[in-house]
Amino acid sequence: MMAKRPISYAVLRGKVVETDLIEFGGRGGDITFLAPDPHKIADQIPIASPRLMEDLYDISFEDILDYLAELGERCRLEENPYLQEALEYSYDTAPTTKPIMDSFYHDLPYMFDKDRIRDMVDYTIGIDHLEGWVNQDINGSHVGVRAYGARCLHIVAGNGPVLGALTIIRGAVTRGDTIIKVPSNDPFTTSAIARTMVDMAPDHPVTKHLAVAYWRGGDEELESQIYQPHNIEKICAWGGFASVKHVTKYIQPGIELISLDPKRSASIVGKEAIESEELMEEAANRIACDFATGNQTACSASRLVYVMCGTEDEDIEKLQQLGQKTYDAMLRLPEVVTTKPKQYDPQLKQWVDTLRLSDDFYTVIGGEEGEGAILVSHTSDRVDFWEYMADRTINMIPVDTLEEVLDVVDAYTQTVGVWPENLWEDVRHKGALHGGQRFVELGYAFNGAGLVGPQDGIEPMRRIVKWIVSEQPLPGRPTLWEAGEDVKMLA
Amino acid sequence: MATAAPPKDTTLEREAERWMNDPYEHFGYDNTKIHSLPREEVEAVQLTAMNLRLAERRDQVQMLKKLADSQNIDAIGSLEDMAPLLFPHDIYKSYPASLLAKQKYDKLNQWLTKLTRFHPEEVDVSECDSIDSWLTKLRDETPLDVGASSGSSGTCSFYPKSKRDYFLSMMGQRVQLVQKFGEPVKRSDIDDKIHAIIPLYKDGHASMGGFGKYSCQVFGKGDPDYWHYCFDFKLSQDLMWLAARLRAAQAKGDISKVDVPDSLLARRAEWEQSQKDMPAQQLAFINRMIRELKGERVFVMCTSNLLYSVAKRGLEEGLTCDFAPGSVFMGGGGAKGVPLPDDLEEVVCGFFNTDRMISSYGMTEMNSFSVQCEHDRYHMLPFVTPFLLDLETGQPLPRKGKQTGRASFFDMTAESCWGGLVTGDVITIDWDHQCECGRTSWAIEKQINRVSEIQGGEDKISCAATPQAQADAMDFLTGFGG
Repeated sequence: MMAKRPISYAVLRGKVVETDLIEFGGRGGDITFLAPDPHKIADQIPIASPRLMEDLYDISFEDILDYLAELGERCRLEENPYLQEALEYSYDTAPTTKPIMDSFYHDLPYMFDKDRIRDMVDYTIGIDHLEGWVNQDINGSHVGVRAYGARCLHIVAGNGPVLGALTIIRGAVTRGDTIIKVPSNDPFTTSAIARTMVDMAPDHPVTKHLAVAYWRGGDEELESQIYQPHNIEKICAWGGFASVKHVTKYIQPGIELISLDPKRSASIVGKEAIESEELMEEAANRIACDFATGNQTACSASRLVYVMCGTEDEDIEKLQQLGQKTYDAMLRLPEVVTTKPKQYDPQLKQWVDTLRLSDDFYTVIGGEEGEGAILVSHTSDRVDFWEYMADRTINMIPVDTLEEVLDVVDAYTQTVGVWPENLWEDVRHKGALHGGQRFVELGYAFNGAGLVGPQDGIEPMRRIVKWIVSEQPLPGRPTLWEAGEDVKMLA
Repeated sequence: MATAAPPKDTTLEREAERWMNDPYEHFGYDNTKIHSLPREEVEAVQLTAMNLRLAERRDQVQMLKKLADSQNIDAIGSLEDMAPLLFPHDIYKSYPASLLAKQKYDKLNQWLTKLTRFHPEEVDVSECDSIDSWLTKLRDETPLDVGASSGSSGTCSFYPKSKRDYFLSMMGQRVQLVQKFGEPVKRSDIDDKIHAIIPLYKDGHASMGGFGKYSCQVFGKGDPDYWHYCFDFKLSQDLMWLAARLRAAQAKGDISKVDVPDSLLARRAEWEQSQKDMPAQQLAFINRMIRELKGERVFVMCTSNLLYSVAKRGLEEGLTCDFAPGSVFMGGGGAKGVPLPDDLEEVVCGFFNTDRMISSYGMTEMNSFSVQCEHDRYHMLPFVTPFLLDLETGQPLPRKGKQTGRASFFDMTAESCWGGLVTGDVITIDWDHQCECGRTSWAIEKQINRVSEIQGGEDKISCAATPQAQADAMDFLTGFGG
């Protein structure tokens, strides 16, 4: 049925482009795909003038939510041929497997739920700031603050197809003019949603203020043309260096870079986890949910699991049991959540196999079939290759004190899963000081409120808007021309 | 997998034993002969040697036994069958890092014992209070001279090679570097004292310090007057380790989290000062050698960049260098991120008055260096079997045509450890090609990469951190203005 070549469509401000196709990808055994020659459409990618953003202010926040809700309805996989096609092609490009991709696509409509978006935006930015001026009398002036949409280029990560949808939503609710440069590991999903928008409401301001295209990151001729202050004000880049290395040379006054650095995550588990059969079972289930979900491709997936069980021989024996139960729990999780990885990283496999020979210091549970593995340390050391944990592989590390754990929480740490409750306050507070950015109850790293709040401490939602201030004097404020010697010049 | 070994052939076994035990003596120290053997004959001897070594080492090296047992391999029927028994290089750092930080040298000894046929665990290390004192004790009381190195992650690897391994390795350099391929062997090339100029340390456990004394043995025939080093002290492995830990901690953004003993941390300033002074001292040293050893035959082994800076300055100042004909200049790759100058060869050869600057490919974990020929290929010694492993599957690639894969080797001469090794390098070999230089030996093409540089597709973006992404970012940031 899919005899034709996969196409990453460009969708530019209400118009679908599928001409002048050229080939991309294909490096290191990847599939190739076609996309419109970006050089031929470069002038249509940015908005012609910021003046054209006025139409976004003819509609209300609730109008935007209505638009998104209808879009969500139309993103039902079974009724949307664009998404069906994109999904089919994405099996080859995505880092995860078919059941997980099916589930991502199946759940797409729920991302557009009005109440969910409203709460998320209100909590993170404040709807009143988006809808009008929020006024306050301060220091003798009537001060107003409002969040305006910006012309923002988004370089999104491709390890989960939800990120394109999330970016479309973020752009719409902030009344931004949104350009999305899609990645080669997810070149199809975002344009399928954008094509749906064009069918639904080609002239709607939200449709008109979205441009989706693929070009090779680092295409200097193209990027030097687009990445100019007269075209864009902000660049929001996921994936840190991989995506920003080409971008930094264009950063200049007038272009702000919002860089969502790559992160990793960990779990901190109390000694309760080895105290009884039941508690061990519970801890195992919670740990499995936090590392195996989405096959550990997300930064929020745990990779190191510290267990405060002590380091005596009998503690290690118990820890090995916990490791086995965690392995079993991983295998029990439904396939919409996690499956045997698409391909187990061969370098990681080599390291894991080497570890098997060091059985004085480590116990390796599983990993023979590329299904994932639990690496149990017998000392409070993490494995030497701890930074490369992937494809459902964790290192379970016994420690005596919380301090030892906190030493490894740093600025690269995103999510820290904590269990049980008695560790919560202490870990959250001290962990934050060490650099940890998100603390969740163990087992809920992927089962929470969504990307609400600051996200990695970087506040992308509050930063993709422009915060504008207005000031008027309150009655009685002395004028400079009348104040004479009494005037105070303060910042 | 139970494969039968080829039928027993005692003539072949005797030949293999000679290659294994003292290959240079066996071939009369004749570089031309060593690199002119028919490939089929070499393969037959290699296979025989592998089976002999497997039988012998299986009960001597515990890690090998574990690996061979788990693979159910008792003997091999072809060279490719050896692939599952090659040790990943990471095995030599597979101890928990805290053993070093907590100075548990007895535990480290127990670990090390599993990687060698000798017995470090029998050495009393209860008095040892540093890596240096531990490795020195082992060197004093066993045949071992452990080769240490520290990688970018800050973990030290320990390769328990023997003094004999070091000696063989150095002898391989003399045999291959001093003699021109194709010319009949001259006894003077092997027997004469040649000055060894090593602009590095007198001693040490890392290769920058370890090779010196063996170069004195092999090139200077043990005469200390023929051994010239820049730094009259031992390169401290503890300080090397400290430096590596500091680098790793810096990359993580918290320099206070360096897990080394306090006594060692206190020596940080000492290390930093020595690093700062090093280039100027090395330059002065080489210049002094040029004056003092005028007219003498010398062997110079150092980084290409150092040779270059000496030569460049020498030419600018109108100095001449008159070492005797037949002197040898061997440069090495240079530090990561420091590109080699375009006119390297021209400047070095011009100043040192030599036909070419030789480079070679080798590593601490092997006795055998491969020397580059005039056609830019690194030729393998016949007692080392190269394997190319598929980067994705780890399976051996066919031994025909031009192949690129993960470099792996079996060095039958390894006296202490298991000779099978999987490296972190990516190399290319054209198995069917006979090199224009006349050597019949298999040869590695000039381009050698790290596996970590090769992997990773184009334009894929992920929110999950990998060290490579961070290292790239650091290189990029620190590269500004430099």
